[in-house]
Amino acid sequence: MPNRLKFLWLILLLLTGVAYAQGPSVSASHVWIREAPPGVDTLAAYLTLTNHTGETLTLSNVSSTDFNSVTVHRTLQNNGMDSMVAVPHLSIPAHQSVKLAPGGYHLMLMQPIKPLYDGDLVMLTFTFSDHSSLSIMAPVRRDAPQS
Amino acid sequence: MRFKKPLYYVLAAVLAVLIGLGIGYWTFGRQREVTDSGALVLHPPKPLPAFGLEADTRSPFTLASLHGHWSFLYFGYTHCPDVCPTTLADLGKMSTQLADLPAASRPTVYFISVDPKRDTPGVLARYLRYFNADFVGVSGAPDQLQLLTHALGVSFSYDPPDQSDNYSVEHSSVVFLINPEAEEAAVFTSPIVPLRMADDYRIILTQHGDR
Repeated sequence: MPNRLKFLWLILLLLTGVAYAQGPSVSASHVWIREAPPGVDTLAAYLTLTNHTGETLTLSNVSSTDFNSVTVHRTLQNNGMDSMVAVPHLSIPAHQSVKLAPGGYHLMLMQPIKPLYDGDLVMLTFTFSDHSSLSIMAPVRRDAPQS
Repeated sequence: MRFKKPLYYVLAAVLAVLIGLGIGYWTFGRQREVTDSGALVLHPPKPLPAFGLEADTRSPFTLASLHGHWSFLYFGYTHCPDVCPTTLADLGKMSTQLADLPAASRPTVYFISVDPKRDTPGVLARYLRYFNADFVGVSGAPDQLQLLTHALGVSFSYDPPDQSDNYSVEHSSVVFLINPEAEEAAVFTSPIVPLRMADDYRIILTQHGDR
C-alpha cells in the first residue's frame, strides 16, 4: 500500500474517532405516533428533541420509510380557533429542548405505505442544519403515554 | 349635629357601593360563571335554532335529537391529525368517568363534521366508534351546518389544498354542553382535562336538577 493511502486511512480513522467521541448533536425522547382511526391516512408523531451542541440547530428534513411525506406542523390556537401551519425550519436552541406534543408542534405523517397499528414501530430519520442525522424507532400507540 | 353629616356621607357611600355590587352581580355575575376546568356556564342557557343534519346512523339529526338528554357537541373533521383525535380521546376518558351515572343522566357525545365533503356518514361511523361505541358522528348540507355553527359562535374555514388535494380545516376548539331542553348550557375550552370536565358536568347536572 502506498504511503499516501496509508496516511489517508489514518486521517479517516481519526475523523471517525472524533465524530464518535463528540456524540450525537440532537437526541430524541418521549417518542410516539398516534394510531390512526379507521379511514384516516394522516398520522401525528410526538417527541422531544434536545440539542446538545452550543449552537442553534434547525431541523432541515424528516423522512420515514413507512410514509411518503413527513413534515413539521404546529397547531395554533387563536380566539378559540385551531389552525395548522407548516413549520419548514424548526429551530432547536443551543442546549435546549423542543417539545412536539398534542395541541402544539407535531410531525405530520402522510400517505403511509402500509396500515400501522398499536405496537408497530416506525423508523424516523431527522437531518439537522449541522448535517448530523438521527434515526429513531417510534412506537405506534392507541393511547397517549402517561407523562 | 356637625358630626352626623360625615356619617351620612359614609353611609351613602357604603350604600352606593352595595347597590353597585348588586347591579354588577345581576348584569355580569349571573351571565357567566367559570368553573375549575375553565368551563363557561351560561345563565340562563341559550336556546338553539332549528336545523336539519344527518347522524352517522343515517337517521336525521335535528334540534329534536338534542331534547330529553344531555349532549356534548364537538366540531372537527376526520382528516385532522392532532387536536381532533386528542380531544375525542379525552372525551372518551370523560365518558368513562361518568359511567356510574344512571343512563338518563349520562351525556351523548356528538362529533359534528365541519368537512362534510370528505366526512360522509359511513366515514364518520367508522371513525367515531373507534373512540367510543356510543359516540355519534354528524354531517350534512353546509347551509344546515351553518345554522348550528352560527348559533354557537363556531367558525371554520378551509385552507388551500396541497399537491395531493389534501387540505386542513381551521375550526373552533371548544366543546359545548347542551341541556335536555336543547339549550346551550356550558362551553369547555381546550385543552380538556377529562377528570375535571366530568366533575364539572356533575355539578352542572345537580344545579339543573335544582332549577
